[in-house]
Amino acid sequence: MKRQKTEDVEVPITPMLDMAFQLLTFFILTYHPAPAEGQFSMNLLPAQPVVSMDAPATNEAANNNDLPAGLKTLPTVLRANADGMLARVTLGENQIEGMDAFSKELASILKDPTLPFDQTVIKVDPQLKYSELMKVINIFSDLKVNKISFAEMGPDDGAPQ
Amino acid sequence: MSASSSNTLKAEPNLTPLLDVVFQLITFFMLVINFSNENYDSRIKLPVAGSARPLDDPGKAQEDRLVLNIDSKGQLLFNGKMFSGGQAVEQIKFEAQLARENLRALRGKKVDPNEGLPVRVVIRADRDTPFTPIYGIITACQTNGFRKFDLKAMTGE
Repeated sequence: MKRQKTEDVEVPITPMLDMAFQLLTFFILTYHPAPAEGQFSMNLLPAQPVVSMDAPATNEAANNNDLPAGLKTLPTVLRANADGMLARVTLGENQIEGMDAFSKELASILKDPTLPFDQTVIKVDPQLKYSELMKVINIFSDLKVNKISFAEMGPDDGAPQ
Repeated sequence: MSASSSNTLKAEPNLTPLLDVVFQLITFFMLVINFSNENYDSRIKLPVAGSARPLDDPGKAQEDRLVLNIDSKGQLLFNGKMFSGGQAVEQIKFEAQLARENLRALRGKKVDPNEGLPVRVVIRADRDTPFTPIYGIITACQTNGFRKFDLKAMTGE
C-alpha cells in the first residue's frame, strides 16, 4: 500500500495585510464626517398681490399649497442694527424687541381664532445677517407656520410709529 | 567537541484574524464615506436652527438639486467658481435654461416658460451673509422658473 503524502499549502497573507492596511489608511485620511445639516423646505413663487390679515378668508386659497395670491397675510418686518443683528421686529402692527417676546406674541396671535392668517411675508432689512433671519424662520417653523415668503425692506418699512 | 544541533524557534503568528478585523474596518469606512458632498463648500459656516429637519423624504432626495453656496461677502460659489452680482444671475439663468432643455428632451415637446422647473434649489448661505445678496439670488431663481427651495442650516452647534 502506497503511503499518501499530504502537503500543506501556505498562502502568504502578509502582502494582503499590507494592502489592506494601505486601504484602511486611505479611508481614515479621507473620512470627514459631514456635520448634521437640516433645512427649511419652502415653495417660493414670484411676488404676487397679498391680502391683509383682516380680509375675509378664501378657503380655496388656504387649501392650496402653491397659491399665495389672495391668502391672508401677516406682515413681519425685521430691522437690523449697525452690526447686522436683529434690533426690532414688527409683527402685524406690534413692535417687538427680542426673540422671546416675538415667539410669545406670535404664539398668542396663532391662538386667537379671530386673527387667523395663511401666510407671512417677512420684510427683511438689507443688512440683517442670515443667521438672524434663520432664527426668525426657526420660530415660525416651531409654531407650524410654513407658508413664508420674503421681501426686502424698504426705507419706510418698520419705522417706529 | 560535540556539535549540538541548535534549536531555532520559528514564530509564525496567525494573521488571519487581524486581516478579518482590517477588512471589517475597510468595509465600515467604505460604507460611511460620502463622495456626494462635493457640492457642499466647507468654507460656508451655516447658521444654527433647531427646527431645521434633515432630508428624510425619499421623494425629495431623488429630486434634481441645484446647490448654491453663498459666502459671507454674498458671492455665489458654484462648481468651484466664484460669481458676484450680475455673473451670479447669469449663471442661474444658464442653469435654468439647462434644466428647461433637459425637461424638453424628457417630454419631447416644448416646455411652457411660465411652468415651474422640477429642480430644488438648495441655498447654503454663510451665517454672516447680509440679506441683500441672498435675496438677489432667490429672486433670480424665482424669475428663471425655480419654485422649490431648501434653506440649509445646522441642526446643532
